[in-house]
Amino acid sequence: MRSFVQVIVSGLVTGSIYALMTVGMTLIYGTLRTLNMALGAMVLVGGYVSWMLFSGLGWGPLAGLVGAAAVTFVFGVLIQQVAVRPLIGKIGVDFEMTAFISTFAVAIVLANVALEIYGARNKAVPPVIAGRLGLIEGVSVSWHSLVMAGVAITMLVALGIFLSKTRYGLGISAVAQQLDAARLMGIPVQRIYNLTMGVSSALAGIAGVLLASVFFVSPNAGDQPLLKALIVAIFGGLGSVRGTIVAAYIIGLLEALISLYFGVKWSLPVLFVVIMIVLLIRPTGLFGKPEEARL
Amino acid sequence: MLETRGLHASYGQTRVLQGIDLTVGDGEVVIVIGPNGHGKTTLLRTISGLMAPTSGEVWFGGDRIDGKRPDLIASDGLVHIPQGDLPFGDMTVEENLVLGAFPASDWAGRAQRLEHVFGIFAVLGERRGQRARTLSGGERRMLALGRGLMREARMLMIDEPSLGLAPVLVNEVYRHIEAIMRSGVTLLLVEENFSHVHAFDARVLLLESGRIVREGSVAELQADESVMATYLGT
Repeated sequence: MRSFVQVIVSGLVTGSIYALMTVGMTLIYGTLRTLNMALGAMVLVGGYVSWMLFSGLGWGPLAGLVGAAAVTFVFGVLIQQVAVRPLIGKIGVDFEMTAFISTFAVAIVLANVALEIYGARNKAVPPVIAGRLGLIEGVSVSWHSLVMAGVAITMLVALGIFLSKTRYGLGISAVAQQLDAARLMGIPVQRIYNLTMGVSSALAGIAGVLLASVFFVSPNAGDQPLLKALIVAIFGGLGSVRGTIVAAYIIGLLEALISLYFGVKWSLPVLFVVIMIVLLIRPTGLFGKPEEARL
Repeated sequence: MLETRGLHASYGQTRVLQGIDLTVGDGEVVIVIGPNGHGKTTLLRTISGLMAPTSGEVWFGGDRIDGKRPDLIASDGLVHIPQGDLPFGDMTVEENLVLGAFPASDWAGRAQRLEHVFGIFAVLGERRGQRARTLSGGERRMLALGRGLMREARMLMIDEPSLGLAPVLVNEVYRHIEAIMRSGVTLLLVEENFSHVHAFDARVLLLESGRIVREGSVAELQADESVMATYLGT
């Protein structure tokens, strides 16, 4: 019972962070039909911004969060303009693959710029709130983890409302599902692409802030989150926002289970085996969908 | 309202439109008839900006619009109801319709427009919460028409509204189109043959191999047996 509660709690916390990362992957894949490999770099940008505002300037955690989201949103739009947009509609260019490579290039550049500016030493960001909450006999969870999960879930709910209730949110889904019809409705596709890249990057930036106080901020702080996001994306199939979130929690719980029974070092190998099995049975991933049904 | 001058368009090496000159006056109904694969859909797609012409000009309401972005052309009030309906499959009927009012000038009035469309197409009101991809072919066509009516249109272009529908549904769709016409809207309609439009009071252009080969009123062309032999097949 005790270990069961422990698995659930830690699975939900990590799952929330994975969902925050991967939902951005899904949005971008849905609208632009490519993977954005620079999302991992947004984790480190978000982390550094919160470190500067939080540890450097001594501003509150909320300022760190909002600041990181704003900066990474702008980064996302810039990456769209510089590394993705010039490739759209080029004859003889495999957009999906070249955009994948160019965003990966952006990620490498950003990581090295961070190395140049901040050095290789890890920056520590203190947790927002100290202490632990005892759940049952022998099982407790840090308040900070609860805040992480809370912020992540709040962001996911806000995203859901944005996508289903607002003009531009619906526009994102429209572009994802039927590009020509969206254009005929008067939806400005380039602006939708910018918005999608901005929002996805901001979500990854927020994930970066949340992770900063758990893992430190360093130039390679984005690598693990990007890898996990890709695992969740492949596992879930990038079909829909909801499917991605479910997939993120499944992976989070699975990882917690594996860590508990086999040790942390087994979590990646076992995850990869699980993904191989899922893909053998369902090549489009768990919630993969046909083109017209995306998002 | 609409004018094209020497409009050419190609898909890769294949020339599809080879110099189209057409005008649609204010409040006029013009029907383009021609066999499939001769450029009717390409003509509409080029006018609405989904395709770039290789040469020629498109004028709409006094402005030159060739080369303009399709979303801006749409926001100018040119409503193009495309072939195959192109619904947003995973969204509800209501969300599909609401997106029809996307331009800033239409967005505020979307609730009234929605009720207006539900008044015309009652079946859409009944299915408002249902995903578009679960609709039948006839309902999808109503959705496409309804989505086009969500905006303040200066001109309407409808691409083969009879395509793929059972005859009884075609009649229903055309009843709606006639009602739309009676509201005095400027309309450019594309069809494969005369059978659905024989009673219309409209000007007809025959499109063959990317060229307009004949022009006249519905009545005139119907009186011409050589035209009828070619175009009244089903």
